[in-house]
Amino acid sequence: MAKGRIDGQKAFVLHAHPYSETSLIVDVFSREQGRLPLLARGARRPRSVLRGNLMAFAPLELGWFGTGEVKTLAKAEWLGGISLLTGRCLLLGYYLNELLVKLLPRDDAHPQLFDAYEDALRALSSGAEDAPELRRFEQTLLKELGYGLTLDVDARSGARVVDDREYVFWIERGPVERDDGDDTASVSGKTLLDMVADDYSDARTRFESKGLMRQLIAHHLSGRPLHSRRVFVELQEL
Amino acid sequence: MIAPGGKFPSTSSLEALIDALRCLPGVGPKSAQRMTYHLLQRDRAGAERLAQALQTALASLRHCLRCNNFTESEICQRCASSRRDQSLLCIVEMPVDAISMEETHAYQGLYYVLMGRLSPLDGIGPKELAFERLFARATDGLVNEVILATNFTNEGEATAHYLSELLRARGLKVSRIARGLPVGGELEFSDAATVAQALMERRDYG
Repeated sequence: MAKGRIDGQKAFVLHAHPYSETSLIVDVFSREQGRLPLLARGARRPRSVLRGNLMAFAPLELGWFGTGEVKTLAKAEWLGGISLLTGRCLLLGYYLNELLVKLLPRDDAHPQLFDAYEDALRALSSGAEDAPELRRFEQTLLKELGYGLTLDVDARSGARVVDDREYVFWIERGPVERDDGDDTASVSGKTLLDMVADDYSDARTRFESKGLMRQLIAHHLSGRPLHSRRVFVELQEL
Repeated sequence: MIAPGGKFPSTSSLEALIDALRCLPGVGPKSAQRMTYHLLQRDRAGAERLAQALQTALASLRHCLRCNNFTESEICQRCASSRRDQSLLCIVEMPVDAISMEETHAYQGLYYVLMGRLSPLDGIGPKELAFERLFARATDGLVNEVILATNFTNEGEATAHYLSELLRARGLKVSRIARGLPVGGELEFSDAATVAQALMERRDYG
């Protein structure tokens, strides 16, 4: 048995880039081992069995071995169950992957985040562009990175958030009731409470929570642009 | 003179050549060094030929105004041919894909070569692929149907999806090449993803 052999890992491919003449380095996100790079030897050969299997957004069962930083992929099996993403949902899938590639450190297991990611992909594969699963994924990502959100307490007054008032979100502190005459973008108390209760049935909640999560994620990216969002916007403008 | 680190003497043109060869895909420092010594020591005539060919190609090749493939004239031979069907335009990712299509001897229309595919994580979007040029080409009034022959990878699918929306909006008929089992293929020996997709995209028969 090869050194450091690990088998039967449920995982997704996040991104891949060519390595040497015929191989690939794949950035994978596995449920039990977290995010790690794997060398897929010969994956770019015309008749490679890995070729079609190592596709992003498809649940895979992987096996690898090695002791270095980059392990060698030994086996990749297609598990099925999530149909291929298409259209705008496919672009949103790239957005999820880019968030993981840019924000999630390597070699830390995040099974909850993995499950949230899988749920989000399943929602996208059914064509739901605005699914609650996407917001849940973003929230879980921030939580797992150590930036838990307190959404139902006013960060200035310490009072409970009230559903018919307007709040401005102070980064790294929390929601603060908007002062009269302040025209900063705000979210309603109801949106914040809905997000805590995980209730996305209201269209306004869906809309405002998306904006709020975008603002928070941009902060945690510390100025690094999201390519997938730029491409998405450019395509909408054509 | 011995270079720092006690290695063999290095001259700048030698280093420059090794460094230049590294721009080839899949060529790392070791292979570049091997190629360099081979060219200089064992095959100077070949090196001369390579240098000449590179220079000529760079100077004379450009993108065909109509299909975007490499050509020496303004419009390539295929696009200028009167025997090709002007009403069909097949969009492929790379020049090699057009060659594969030609090998079928089943297609008489023209091509447009994107020279890439949408790749959101790498920042390759519609600007990088010059979608506007393709739109100008496809709406020349002669093209009637556009055939999307990008690959069946996620990137190829994303490209096909957006091109289909954008070309349809410009009044063109759009089709996509079919996917499924290969000719002579047997279910038993096919991968699950292919069989699943073939099942989903099944069509009326008989």
